[in-house]
Amino acid sequence: MEHYFRREYGRLVAVLVRRAGLSHLEAVEDAVQGALLSALTAWLADGIPHDPSAWLYRVAHNHLLGVLRKDQRHQRILGGGAGDQGAVDGEDPLPAAFAGEVRDELLRMLFVCCDENIPHESRLVLALKTLCGFNIGEIAFRLFTTEATIYKRLARAREWLRQGEVDTQTPSLETLRSRLSGVHAVIYLLFNEGYLSTRAEHAIRAELCDEAIRLGTLLATHPVGAAPPTFALLALMHLHAARLASRQDAAGGLLLLEEQDRSLWDAEHLHQGATWLARAAQGDVFTRFHAEAGIAAEHCFAPSFADTRWNEIAELHAVLERIDPSPIHTLNRSVAVAEARGPQAGLAVLDGVVPPAWLDGHYLWDAVLADLHHRAGHATTAERHRDRALAAAPSTAVRQLLHRRLTKPTR
Amino acid sequence: MSKRKYLVLARHQPAGSQGRPSPEQMQQMFAAYKTWMEKFKDDILDMGDKLKSDGRLVSASGVADGPFVEAKEVVGGYMIVSAESYDRAVEVVRACPAVDAPGALLEIREMAGAKM
Repeated sequence: MEHYFRREYGRLVAVLVRRAGLSHLEAVEDAVQGALLSALTAWLADGIPHDPSAWLYRVAHNHLLGVLRKDQRHQRILGGGAGDQGAVDGEDPLPAAFAGEVRDELLRMLFVCCDENIPHESRLVLALKTLCGFNIGEIAFRLFTTEATIYKRLARAREWLRQGEVDTQTPSLETLRSRLSGVHAVIYLLFNEGYLSTRAEHAIRAELCDEAIRLGTLLATHPVGAAPPTFALLALMHLHAARLASRQDAAGGLLLLEEQDRSLWDAEHLHQGATWLARAAQGDVFTRFHAEAGIAAEHCFAPSFADTRWNEIAELHAVLERIDPSPIHTLNRSVAVAEARGPQAGLAVLDGVVPPAWLDGHYLWDAVLADLHHRAGHATTAERHRDRALAAAPSTAVRQLLHRRLTKPTR
Repeated sequence: MSKRKYLVLARHQPAGSQGRPSPEQMQQMFAAYKTWMEKFKDDILDMGDKLKSDGRLVSASGVADGPFVEAKEVVGGYMIVSAESYDRAVEVVRACPAVDAPGALLEIREMAGAKM
């Protein structure tokens, strides 16, 4: 029953929007919301029906018919057209192959959320709202922004959908294929919001990671989605999720990799990660997800911090730099090289790298330099970078972690 | 001791509620109600129902449409509990999750005739 209402919301919206048409998305969402509210009262009074999903579908469908009929009357009064009721009309029996159909409709909705006409920042919000069943307040809370911002992003997505130019039929395989990397990006973003955030409590972050894995798993069942990059993305998410709980101590402080209790790593996630990674390797493509999953796997399956294969990790970071050139990968490579061949070798990687503005002011850049210089015995330079890193730390937890790491004696 | 019946009227400010609950919040409400109903299952006679917002006003002079616009709060639902005393009825109702809804006000009235 965990998250049952939220899951059911996503399923019902996906199924009903297919019948009513995407231009009626808001009416569909209202109808589903109304059905869940009805369930709350009716199920408490009479007990949970033996097929709650079918009960909800029937009630939501009736709500939707009511809303659309009212809209239609309004349109006639205003001199508008007959109104588009889509396929929702009269008695609609419960779809026969409900379970299978739901999966297809959820997938279809996932691809709709990644329509290239919807602005990038609106896609994640639309997915969280329609597929995951979060309301605006809950999304704002999870993405650390205001409700007004979320509302605006959602409005931009809906504006496009309301124009009705998005076909109600399943887009062609070709269209879906061209949209696949956009779908990956949304799932990856969703996962990172949960994984990288240092501002929210563990349960909230784990929830976003779980949603990302759920959508990714769903995507892997789609004829277009079942491809090595999707498998690599799933491997990457499982391998990171395995370590999620061990990244924080009992007081909520962040722990360094070398401080983490490896026995806390989640065996099921590790197993899933390894399985998806093996599937990702069957094919002739090597994406950034492959490289990132490979790095995560090196960490996850190393017996200890000291026994980590740092040379392999450094090599994978180098691959990542070629696939997706970014100084952040170079920075990460310098850390791996330093572990493998000493701080001087790590510093040599960064020699001549001029960080772009966004990285120059970022705590990671200064933290790595402070650490490498400190270990290389350059006390003054190390101190300068340490002060900058501490000043730029985005949260108390990060500042405490930096303080612990950057003031300890050299190894 | 014989128990008496009490009618509980749930009042709330019309259209004043801040947004509708999210699916996750509904699930939490559902769980909270289940716990409450289990705890007081011997006291809750009838879980009652929610009431729709429109209505009719009937008097000798005729019939008028609700809603009752002049009212500060409208009755949004009812239920019936049985208890030995007002104190006990209050104890049951106070623990009801409906009390925690913003702007909620629950009125308890003993039903005059029905002794059980």
